[in-house]
Amino acid sequence: MRLVSCFFILGFLTLLLIITNLLFGAVSVPLDTIVDAFLDHTNPNHFTIHEYRFPRIIIALLVGAMMALAGALVQGVIRNPLASPDILGVSHGAGLAAVIYMTFFPDAAIEWLPLVALLGSFLAAIVLWRLCGQHSTTVKLAITGVALAALYASCVDFLMLVKPLEINNALLWLTGSLWGRGWTQLSLLLPWLVLIPAALWLAKPLNLIHLGDEHATSLGTHTNAVRLAALAIAVGLTASCVAICGPIGFLGLVAPHLTRKLVGGRHQALLPATMLVGAILLLLADLVARTIDPPIELPAGIMTAIIGAPYFLWLLLRSK
Amino acid sequence: MKRWLSVILSTYFILVSFTATAVTVEDSKGLFTLDYQPKRIVVLEFSFADALAAVDVSPVGIADDKEADRVLKEVRDVIGSWTSVGTRSQPSMEVIASLKPDLIIADISRHEAVYADLQKIAPTLILPSRRETYEDSLKAAAIIGKVIGKDQAMQARLQQHRKTMAQYAQQLPQKIEVQFGVARDDALFLHTKDSYAGGVIHALGLANAETGRDDTAYRQTGLEQLVAINPEYLIIGNYVTPSIIDKWRNEPLFSVLQAARQNHIYQVNPNTWSRCRGIMAAERMSQDLVDILVP
Repeated sequence: MRLVSCFFILGFLTLLLIITNLLFGAVSVPLDTIVDAFLDHTNPNHFTIHEYRFPRIIIALLVGAMMALAGALVQGVIRNPLASPDILGVSHGAGLAAVIYMTFFPDAAIEWLPLVALLGSFLAAIVLWRLCGQHSTTVKLAITGVALAALYASCVDFLMLVKPLEINNALLWLTGSLWGRGWTQLSLLLPWLVLIPAALWLAKPLNLIHLGDEHATSLGTHTNAVRLAALAIAVGLTASCVAICGPIGFLGLVAPHLTRKLVGGRHQALLPATMLVGAILLLLADLVARTIDPPIELPAGIMTAIIGAPYFLWLLLRSK
Repeated sequence: MKRWLSVILSTYFILVSFTATAVTVEDSKGLFTLDYQPKRIVVLEFSFADALAAVDVSPVGIADDKEADRVLKEVRDVIGSWTSVGTRSQPSMEVIASLKPDLIIADISRHEAVYADLQKIAPTLILPSRRETYEDSLKAAAIIGKVIGKDQAMQARLQQHRKTMAQYAQQLPQKIEVQFGVARDDALFLHTKDSYAGGVIHALGLANAETGRDDTAYRQTGLEQLVAINPEYLIIGNYVTPSIIDKWRNEPLFSVLQAARQNHIYQVNPNTWSRCRGIMAAERMSQDLVDILVP
């Protein structure tokens, strides 16, 4: 019963935020004209609603959900509350690829950036995989991933120091932002949605893994295969999101945590709920980023970090 | 019959008048054609506002980082009031759309990623602004002049600009080495000969200091590197005070600089020298140099 009401409240909040995001921005659009503005090409707000806010909201919804889901999967596999897709080095790999691309090909078309970032993510995942192999412990995996992420991050810093101002666009991308994302970016994101049902299907085996490898194996789970599948899906989800929006920090870490507090650790409930929480967080972050000081737009990635970091500190202080 | 004739004739004249006013220019994305004289222009960089002001045209919106003072005072005096459309790096599409522009002028370096979206709002002329050289900026101004139907006025203004710059050059001592840099709290960025400020210095018959192998317009420089470059005159725009230059003044190494020994370190407005580019900005910078270098 508690679970049902939790889902109901989360769903309601998501809907509320979608509508709020449609209504508010640098220009406010009255509620009763939204449908008209969406459908009618001659409506003065047609561009704002149809070309701008609507696709951006859908992207926020999907990216928030996918990042959070990736976080929950990684936390489920590593069995460490500090785990997030960041510790796989995937988003840092994407960041490095993007920065290299923008630094050494400043005249290259910006349309290719998502693809370059995607390639960077997958390369980073392959490097991690080669270094750890199939039978390594999750601790080894996590520490190797963190080390690689630090390596990529330092390479990014190095490039930014050597070529400081050419990299300004890269810096903007590296903070993670939904600015300027529209239908084109949304269509790039859609194929990756097939990963969501695949992830949900892993809910049961992930519960068993939580009992410890021995129990899980004796109950008929192929622990290594499940771990591999979960991590691969998490990599795919993170890579596709990062390619579109840049690395939006803290989302993959905070959303699953928050959700675990709300609905507990059973993955059947945790995975769908965390998607809603992730979507809510990113929608909220983008709403604040757009409306805090219009017409100035802040990157949503900064807002998630501003929300995420204090929450984490509070969590640490409480758990003492 | 008579009615038909008048319809055909008027259609013909409308077509002729359209082709007469249609201009095609080459921008950073290829050919750009506009068949009317734009009345509501939104610009997303300061150099474009400068180009409009140079021929007495006022934009309805400027990406001014929400700080009106960042627009050069000389430009502000010409164009009157405008609506801020947010930061140059992430201008608000909603506000741009709400201004109902009939021309947007964007920067290829900053706004390429949203070029398609801008095109949906209004025809978008996309030109280099950031990292542009002095000559590039004058070329961009000439293109803007054509597109807004003020070709002649712009050409005249550019000629006058060359003349003004030549006059400043005559007042200034020739061939002395002048280096401009912006100083932050923790870093000094020298604007090399490839930068906009470097181009203005060169156009005035002054020499740029040799900053070394780098091909980038802006170069972060440490104290030791600055001593190695050792420019005769150092022009500094302080984004904060005390800046890193003020901190360096206490270090013994700083007194090795010939500019420091001869008291040839001067301050200018960093906003004018670093963010504003364009005809009026170049003239303002030249006036600054005359004020500094001509006793």
